Amino acid sequence: MSLIELKEVSKLYGFGDATVVALDEINISVSKGEFVAVMGPSGSGKSTLMNLIGLLDRPTHGSFSLNDRSVERLRTNQRAKVRRDTIGFVFQSFNLLPKLTVLENVALPLVYKGITQTRRLKQAGAMLERVGLSDREQFYPKQLSGGQAQRVAIARALVNNPHIIIADEPTGNLDSQSSRLVMELLADIHKSGGTILMVTHNPELTRYATRVVFMHDGDIIGDEQSALGQVPKLLKKTMYSLSRFSLEDDLAGVSVLMKTFPDKIEKQKARKKIQPKKRATKKRTAKK
Amino acid sequence: MTFGNNMKEALFSLKTSRWRSMLTVLGIIIGVASVVTIVSIGEGVRKQVEGQINILGSDTITVRPGKSVTRNSEGKIIDVNLLASQSNGSFSNNDYEVISKSKNVLVSVPFSKISAVAKTDEREFLDGNVVATTSELPKVLKQKVLYGEFFDDKNPNKNIAILGKKVAQELFNENVPIGKSLQIRGEQFIVGGIMDNYANNPLSPSTDYNRTIFIPYETGKKISGGQTQIYQVLVVPEAIGLTDEVAKNITINLQNAHGNQEDFTVLKKEDTLAVTNGILKLLTSLIAGLAGISLIVGGIGIMNIMLLSVTERTREIGVRKAVGATNRQILNQFLTEAAILSLAGGFLGIIVSLVVDYAIALFTDIVPAITFPIMGIAMVLALAVGVFFGITPALKAASKDPIDALRYE
Repeated sequence: MSLIELKEVSKLYGFGDATVVALDEINISVSKGEFVAVMGPSGSGKSTLMNLIGLLDRPTHGSFSLNDRSVERLRTNQRAKVRRDTIGFVFQSFNLLPKLTVLENVALPLVYKGITQTRRLKQAGAMLERVGLSDREQFYPKQLSGGQAQRVAIARALVNNPHIIIADEPTGNLDSQSSRLVMELLADIHKSGGTILMVTHNPELTRYATRVVFMHDGDIIGDEQSALGQVPKLLKKTMYSLSRFSLEDDLAGVSVLMKTFPDKIEKQKARKKIQPKKRATKKRTAKK
Repeated sequence: MTFGNNMKEALFSLKTSRWRSMLTVLGIIIGVASVVTIVSIGEGVRKQVEGQINILGSDTITVRPGKSVTRNSEGKIIDVNLLASQSNGSFSNNDYEVISKSKNVLVSVPFSKISAVAKTDEREFLDGNVVATTSELPKVLKQKVLYGEFFDDKNPNKNIAILGKKVAQELFNENVPIGKSLQIRGEQFIVGGIMDNYANNPLSPSTDYNRTIFIPYETGKKISGGQTQIYQVLVVPEAIGLTDEVAKNITINLQNAHGNQEDFTVLKKEDTLAVTNGILKLLTSLIAGLAGISLIVGGIGIMNIMLLSVTERTREIGVRKAVGATNRQILNQFLTEAAILSLAGGFLGIIVSLVVDYAIALFTDIVPAITFPIMGIAMVLALAVGVFFGITPALKAASKDPIDALRYE
């Protein structure tokens, strides 16, 4: 039984000639307890995928079920409720509300559940203790270091006991020391049974993950299980072949992944060229 | 999200932008204060006028020169002619005779204005009236003579003056100047009595009996060269049930005397109440409507600030949605903020108008009346303005796309 099940999910932006395919018939399923790291260059559709799974956005077509419940056609308010009960977000820029104290920030998701203030603050306090920031309860976000702020954000994501934690580059704004603390916290959550989806640019961080997904131009081009503490083979190939990545490539916008899996990418491009008509009809029926 | 939570959140966010909130509230305060003050002045004056009319007995009929009301065939007043009711026409002595000799009239009391200045050796009394009337006046007005007694009919030409309370104070500088003398048109008058305090109204200072000197009717006629300027005759019928009939009789008789023209007004007590209430309501609602415009301007202020606030807090809205706030919860949050702003404005506006009313009562003759219904309506009005002008910004906040909102810088 998988927690997240995406079947042929696509996401298109814009209309007509300006249509951008952000996700191109993605298939992925994530089971409970997995720690999935999603990697790929900018514009590869990682964030779009996270927004879809986090129910912030709706797929253009395809089916998406969460906990065996089909959620792709839910209405805005129902999605908000599913989000509230099953998903915890951790953002790159923390997104704590500056006017609320740390404790109130952590308690924020509970407000929308209709829990009384006393219970809210108690639960939030317990979460802060879990991330080791009990002594910062009455601080305001601007009085915290980046690492502390991100730990508060993680506490906020955890306070609803969500089924999935979605972390979009949680260490993107942090120094290595803070990054390590944050990652250890996520690893800890994973160890105690949590499911985590994390977008990252840092290959080192995949050591904490049990599975690494590579994305490129809206496609999943690699999906590999990896043991904890290990950098996956595919990634190693890319990581240690950095010498093949030149400044010219960078300027031309050619990613390392493209050079690593040229055959795969070519194949996919060919597939797209061969079957445009068939795909178009399929999409139309899916829309209906 | 519960209502209490909404309140707390809203109060908090308003507190953090204190200056802005205060200025926004100021708009509503001015609007509510001006509406409430005007309505309370109207209400206060209405009460004062009503009190004044109530000193007449319930069966008293007022006859005035000039046609100040228009009636339909059933005798109901359908229109008030403002100009005529303020006109300076007067009845002659002959008219008074006609009225007093109408059928079933028990008492008829003329009010004849003498254009004269009363003075003593030391002072002059300029700010009031001299009215010539008959000895039956105390029977018609429910007003006692506080000290001394009213003049009687034994000698109608006697030079006796009955003073209103303020006349006594201002002319003689004492409360009971009985037996002292004063001069009216060169004639010596002896003070025979002091009237009890009279509930005057600021709309018609000419009927402020606290500032009136009453002298006998015949004496008045004499000192003004035989002419009378009767501006009002009060009539009491022989029995209570005869009011309508007497009013009709007087109308017919006067019409005959005036060449079949109805150039006078016969008012029963309830007519008088209806007329003054009608005038006051019209005036009050007119000015309150004008003041209401400032309330609308205040509402636009709320809308402006809320729109700004929604834009500034786009990211916050994104975060709230990401952690599970529904559109409705976001809507409620912003709507609560607007409602709190306007209710605070309403509450403070009422307080301001209480202060203003107190000052008005202190420095003028008007006694404004802020009643609970007025306050209640003001609060409801303020809330309505807040919700009406807050709904657009709140909808804008609620309909924000969470992804865009989270990306907003």
